Amino acid sequence: MTKKTGAALPYVLLVLVAAPFITMYVGFFLRAFGEGPQLGIFPERFGLSNFSFLWEPITWGLAETTIWVALANTILFASVSGAVVTVVCMLAGYAVSRIEFKGKNTFLVLQLFLHAVPGQILLIAIFFLLYYLHLLHKIPGIALARASLEIPLGVWMTKGFFDAIPWDVERAAMIDGCTRLQVWYKIFLPLVKPGVAAVFIWGFLFAWHDFIYVYTLLPGTAKLMSTLIQSLLATEVIDYGYLAAMSLLYMLPPLTLFVLLQRALLKVPIFGGKGI
Amino acid sequence: MMKVTLRNLCKYFQQIKAVDGLNLEIAAGEFLALLGPSGCGKTTTLLTIAGFYKPDQGEIYFDEQLVNDLPPRLRNIGMVFQSYALYPHMNVLDNIAFPLKLQKVPKSEWKARAIEIAKLLEIADLLDRKPGQLSGGQQQRVALARALVRNPKLLLLDEPLSNLDAKLRIFMRAELKRLQKELGITTIFVTHDQIEAMTMADRIVVLREGRLQQVGTPDELYDSPANVFVASFIGTPPMNLLDAEIEVGKGDYRVKTSHFSFSLPKEIVAKIKYIPSHGVVLGIRPEDLIIGEGNIRGLVYVVEPLGRDELVTLEAGDMRLKALVPSRLRIGLNDKIEFSFSVERVHLFDKETGKSLYEEA
Repeated sequence: MTKKTGAALPYVLLVLVAAPFITMYVGFFLRAFGEGPQLGIFPERFGLSNFSFLWEPITWGLAETTIWVALANTILFASVSGAVVTVVCMLAGYAVSRIEFKGKNTFLVLQLFLHAVPGQILLIAIFFLLYYLHLLHKIPGIALARASLEIPLGVWMTKGFFDAIPWDVERAAMIDGCTRLQVWYKIFLPLVKPGVAAVFIWGFLFAWHDFIYVYTLLPGTAKLMSTLIQSLLATEVIDYGYLAAMSLLYMLPPLTLFVLLQRALLKVPIFGGKGI
Repeated sequence: MMKVTLRNLCKYFQQIKAVDGLNLEIAAGEFLALLGPSGCGKTTTLLTIAGFYKPDQGEIYFDEQLVNDLPPRLRNIGMVFQSYALYPHMNVLDNIAFPLKLQKVPKSEWKARAIEIAKLLEIADLLDRKPGQLSGGQQQRVALARALVRNPKLLLLDEPLSNLDAKLRIFMRAELKRLQKELGITTIFVTHDQIEAMTMADRIVVLREGRLQQVGTPDELYDSPANVFVASFIGTPPMNLLDAEIEVGKGDYRVKTSHFSFSLPKEIVAKIKYIPSHGVVLGIRPEDLIIGEGNIRGLVYVVEPLGRDELVTLEAGDMRLKALVPSRLRIGLNDKIEFSFSVERVHLFDKETGKSLYEEA
């Protein structure tokens, strides 16, 4: 084997592994923008007719809705979930990183254990919890339940961010006149800003693509993107072009969010002081 | 200016007595150094005075006020950390002004005061930089400015010079000393470096394993160390310590080591409290050794030139002694020489307890 082919080998392997996925994505895009009958990957002609859901109501069976309602519902659901995860984890993460209290280690181990429990097992319990709290069938209520699934691991994640901040910085802030809460939001939060973004995106994305909680705990009339696409799949005639176009829209917000915040995610705070 | 009093201060971490029964009075405007090897409890003492640790026993008074339960933010103190602990997300001006902003001082005033203190510390041209863009020495000045900006009653310094390079450290030593005297703030300074403590402090507190060894001015500690630990810790090169015995003859006290013996002069005999039966430790400062004359024979083991002086290690019998001599002596390796020492400047310690045999001055 020559040197050249040796160097090319990893790329060949990578292309082989990536090819099926790339084919699927390309097919998916082509289908979304394709018109007319289609047998292979390439459609007969291109057009935007698959995106008709943007200006026409969407029907399935006897019910109908518009894409904008579904999109608004999904954004509400994911934002509430992301916000709850962020606020709870930032506070809890600080506490377990900096404050000594009885049972702290047990608490932390319990969090890991909770994370190991699949969310589906909890569905029935959560159903009743939400019912008694009068939050059942309400999007913010379900978002709260969805957020609770991400919090255990999120606490560990944020604890890691706060652990990286030297004790001296916290002590300096307390000497300078901060209360614990002021240390948290004046010093710690700005220092872990990328972490705040990371936790929010993480909470947001898991909720954005959630299906099972939305499907089970919301009434069939309140559609989110995931359940809307599912109900269209369940009709007798499946229009794949239409579904591909809608899925493309479904992908767009998380993708934009990631691109916008990726700089914040990569930016790691640089601590002043030599020798830290 | 504020007086600080520690009464029987104790701080334990599980089984470890980090600070054990510390009694101390720090006068208003005093520059006090807490000195000791790592793990001696000096930083714990400082953090307890700052309010981060609660004493397990004992009291801390600021003037007449008991502050045991006062949180750090209400103690009106300034502190400089070894790592400087600047806020990386704020620029220099905001770092310095942070304590004032927390006190809700109006903007025009906090800005003026921050700039004033920055000028005093010669960092006024760095105000819009971030800590990450500063050198170690500049960061230290910013940390100092932040500690001083709200006119604290007490300044705490935790090894503030340790992270500077050697040249800057010597420069800052003098600067800090001058600044402290100019501002007149009561200052407690933690260090493991005895030269720093000696050069800067009005008084030095020597700690070891959480217990107070000796408090005194640098001269007191150097001239009359209270025990073997202080004697060996203060002074570079350290004091020569030799096992010896005291023999009491008729009106004569004779100190005998394995290699030489000498009579104690009257002024020393007068200071001795008691003569232990189990032997003593004889201490001789390297600069008190006289080379070239005397009746003790020895061999030059090694010579270390220091520029102005030379540090000569002598071998005499089974002992090794360090002598600090003027370099013009030009002594060579393995030279046979005679030496003596200033008998009126020797130190004597109880071999068992390590305590000085001399009455306290």
